[in-house]
Amino acid sequence: MKDDFSWLDDERPLERSPASSGARRGLRRFLPRLSRLPRLRRRLRARADKASAPDSAAAILEGRSDRPVEELDNRLRALRERSFGEQPSGAEAPGALFDVDEVLVTPEFQRKPGGVISAVALSKAQERQVELLKDIVGGSLDASDEGDGGRPRLSPRFSLSAFIRLALSALLVLVVALPFVSSDYAVGDLTASEERPALTSMYDLLDDLEKAEHVLVALEYGPTAAGELDALTELLLRHIVAHSAKPIIVSGNPIALVHAQNIIRKINRSVAAFALDLEANQDYYLLRYLPGEALGLRELSENFADVARVSAKGELTGLEVSALEDMSLILLIAESAEDMRLWAEQVLPETEDARLLVATGYSAEPLAAAYADSLDEVVGLVVGFRDAYIYGEKLAIAYGAPSQSQRESTVDSAPAGESPDPQGAAQLPTVTAQSTPTSLPTATAPPTLRPSPTLPLPTATPPPTATPLPTATSEPVLYVEVTADQFINIRREPTTAADILALASEGDRFETLGKNDDGSWYNILLPDGVEAWIASFLVEELWIAAGDDSASASAPRQQTLMRLEFPLRLGKNQPRFYQAQASGAGDHPEFVLNRDRKGETSRLEAMTLGALASVLIIVFGNLVSALRAFGMRRSAGPAK
Amino acid sequence: MNFGQRLGIALSAFVAFAVGAIAVTSLLLGDNPAIFNNQPGSERAAELLALPGDVLLRLVVIVISLSVVIGIANLLYVHVGRVARGKVYSGALLASFGVAIFWHLTRQGDPSLLEAVQLPIESSLAALLFVSLVAGASRVMQKRADVWGLLFVAVVVLVLLASVPLAELAPLRAWRDWLMRVPVSAGARAFLLGIAMATVVTGQRVLLGQDRSYRG
Amino acid sequence: MDETTLQVYSGLIALATALLVFVARIWRRRAQRRIAGLERLPAWTGRAIETNRPLHLSFGSAGIGGDNTPLALAGAELFHQIIEGAEAGDAPPMMSMSEAMSLPLAQDTARRAWKRGDHLARLRWLPSGRRSLAFAAALTDTARNEEPAAHVLAGSFGPELALILDSAERRGQPSLAASDQLAGQAVAFALADEALIGEELFAAPAYVSDDRRAGSDAVVMDLWRAFVIIGVTIALLLQFSQLMPEYNWPVLAGIGAVLLILGLVGYRRS
Repeated sequence: MKDDFSWLDDERPLERSPASSGARRGLRRFLPRLSRLPRLRRRLRARADKASAPDSAAAILEGRSDRPVEELDNRLRALRERSFGEQPSGAEAPGALFDVDEVLVTPEFQRKPGGVISAVALSKAQERQVELLKDIVGGSLDASDEGDGGRPRLSPRFSLSAFIRLALSALLVLVVALPFVSSDYAVGDLTASEERPALTSMYDLLDDLEKAEHVLVALEYGPTAAGELDALTELLLRHIVAHSAKPIIVSGNPIALVHAQNIIRKINRSVAAFALDLEANQDYYLLRYLPGEALGLRELSENFADVARVSAKGELTGLEVSALEDMSLILLIAESAEDMRLWAEQVLPETEDARLLVATGYSAEPLAAAYADSLDEVVGLVVGFRDAYIYGEKLAIAYGAPSQSQRESTVDSAPAGESPDPQGAAQLPTVTAQSTPTSLPTATAPPTLRPSPTLPLPTATPPPTATPLPTATSEPVLYVEVTADQFINIRREPTTAADILALASEGDRFETLGKNDDGSWYNILLPDGVEAWIASFLVEELWIAAGDDSASASAPRQQTLMRLEFPLRLGKNQPRFYQAQASGAGDHPEFVLNRDRKGETSRLEAMTLGALASVLIIVFGNLVSALRAFGMRRSAGPAK
Repeated sequence: MNFGQRLGIALSAFVAFAVGAIAVTSLLLGDNPAIFNNQPGSERAAELLALPGDVLLRLVVIVISLSVVIGIANLLYVHVGRVARGKVYSGALLASFGVAIFWHLTRQGDPSLLEAVQLPIESSLAALLFVSLVAGASRVMQKRADVWGLLFVAVVVLVLLASVPLAELAPLRAWRDWLMRVPVSAGARAFLLGIAMATVVTGQRVLLGQDRSYRG
Repeated sequence: MDETTLQVYSGLIALATALLVFVARIWRRRAQRRIAGLERLPAWTGRAIETNRPLHLSFGSAGIGGDNTPLALAGAELFHQIIEGAEAGDAPPMMSMSEAMSLPLAQDTARRAWKRGDHLARLRWLPSGRRSLAFAAALTDTARNEEPAAHVLAGSFGPELALILDSAERRGQPSLAASDQLAGQAVAFALADEALIGEELFAAPAYVSDDRRAGSDAVVMDLWRAFVIIGVTIALLLQFSQLMPEYNWPVLAGIGAVLLILGLVGYRRS
């Protein structure tokens, strides 16, 4: 015990003896002292002898060694033995305090098992003595019982710092809760974060899945990370099953397996209306729990056929895979970078050029990104809820928004059909003759037009060319068609300062929700359901009857719509955009299209606000601490 | 130390060394016919060499799976004792333990308890963690008022700001990406290397019988 | 790298480590560098004794059988030394873990180092997981109820460490934290009074004990680190020389020497 503590307490470490020069010190550090070898055995033995004698707490603290036991007198020796928990032997015990033994009778303590002083029970005699003492000091002994067992408190229960803490926590909670309460607190361009190549390659690989292809899905997260990773898991599973590929779910976390069942149940509920149902051991497989972290994964990689035979519920899966090499795609959803390391170390080497896609949380990102950079097999990496949102957007755009696709069965040449009568959706005439742009009245809208909550709809006046058809049953919908012969901007707000959401070209048509106050902008609906604005002098109005199958051949040319990957602010970045794909990718787009996306935007806004608020708190707190430390150093400076 | 204790120590050290040596040899050299020069029969020899390691590891997996029983026993032991001393929370723990088992047995493993109780609770704890982390990060300079503390805070602020989807903060993203790709990645690798190195050395100590638990 | 080469390398590393362990044993222990994080441990032990409060020692999710077995063993060794130092006190230390497999290890450690009392009652296990927030939250209750003199958290922790350290901080209880997870490491640096970085936890037993064998392990780790740094530097220089052939080898050797000297100076200073 001695040496190490004296070494620790010594302010000048031993090796920095002033006598030796720097170079010699360096040499001595890296070369064994050969000349001292013969003395080694003796030194070792002496040390071992010394180590066997335990030192006292005081010796430990002060970095000194105790006096040898032999040098102590009887009284100290007895005390020492007692302090090390050994009962003093027989006759010596009463003699421990030989001077006062006769006057002061010390009753035995009854020790409760556990040996803790706080658990000492007082004997009758001791209780009487306590009473006596209380009488003498006026009963103030009880005061020490307040608080926790009379122990001295290290910190007060309430302090200014506790108040500041509480206030800051309340501020954080408030800020994060705001976007859920009101849309006025929407901050930031929700999809303005970069779409990283790793996300794109992940999307592409999952999008290229063949029917009935197996994907190994590892769910390595517990309930703690569910809030962060559930959205990703659900999204990726939906993407996989939309292609009729079959996920094989494994996990080293039993709770994750149970939770996976719930996620699949949720997916099933959302597509129940389409008579679609994912069945265990047929459309997906939930394999048995893999205990023992690295060892479990080792078993998975070496005896995959064995593991794949039994499901989490103990049933036979009927899965016909012989080895892990059959898997070409492994999707790992992990809360910790350690899990990613385990998969990369234990499973990847056992596969033949399988590719690993990783979905993880923010705390695991640094290490996960390092792995993804250095391993060729790791081809995709998505992180946290924001990537889930971007992935979801990408997916929704690619598959086409559901409501939009139903609405788009429109008449190509259907011009404005208007009803002068504000009552009648049913009696609304459809118009067969195409009206010329000039003949269109300005700012007309039938009452059947879906009212936009923020916009007062202009009053409708019928164009003279409209001929009502009494047989028509469908309601006409107001569209705008782009007439400019170049790409025009579709913006988030009715002002040229607003973000550009997409670009449109001549002939593109958009369902229109209304106009702004001065009629210079149309509020339109993009194919993915996003509301946007388009300048009115670049477009012309059209009335198109919805639900008219005969006219579906000439549906609006949505394909030319260039949807921006991210909304961008002008002058800040160069816009990048991609061509929206035709809808209907995958065998069962319903899995993707019927995803409940309620609250996603609010969550992202809350994250944005929360991050901003925490930056403020961190900067403020550290500034105060730094200034205080600086002030203390300055005031301490002159004193020295 | 009497003879029996010495014998026990020697025996446990021997068992540890023997099992460790067998497992290491088997795992390191097994299952690779190339080390037998691909002679006829080397496949079989490689398989045989890999067998003890495999068997031992499977045993470990079984032991680990059963270890949760030890954990539950400890949990009950500790908290029954605390309930006897009038601790309310321990009582709540034991009650919910009983309810969960009853639920599982009577409802054929209905997982709604997980969804309705455990998920929300742990998610709330994760949210609490966020508050704790922010509070901690705002006090870094209080503990480490030096250049390292400053660097830490600067990096935290930069990474947080770069993750905010505001176009005004877009230039920070390039910095953040560089930070993540170069210094953070280098640090992470160094960290992993250090841990791996230490793992080898510690494993060696156990194998050479120097671990405390054999020495008494 | 094919399998045979990998096996040969692994075997060589294992053998070299074994050899180094024996060589390092004949070195003087002062070849160890200083680890600042451990220097306050004796004071905390003393405080635990004087204030009659327990020490709280935690393994986190490190446990026997998993991939962090050596971490659990190193933690147990450190705890053994700490408990031995605190044995003069009356409050037995309490140990917590979220991995059931480290329960027997903890009990064994406590039994060997603290030779009296009921050890099992001082062990706290809570269900495991990579990021066991339930475990961390329960430990905040411990910080309130038991009022430990200090927390020594040496094992595997994720970001949940923040909950434990934050509650310790609020109650003025000092803490030492070390984790083999990167996230836990960052949290430890920010919130703990003392933090051990990387493999320092594995070397820690050597610093709080008089055990020569543990000391030699620390020296071996230092040696390996030196080898790795030199290897990485050489590889970097070689790469560099391919990129810029005009730098011939004396220049590279010069740069290497300067780097080496800088490294040595930094090492001495740390």
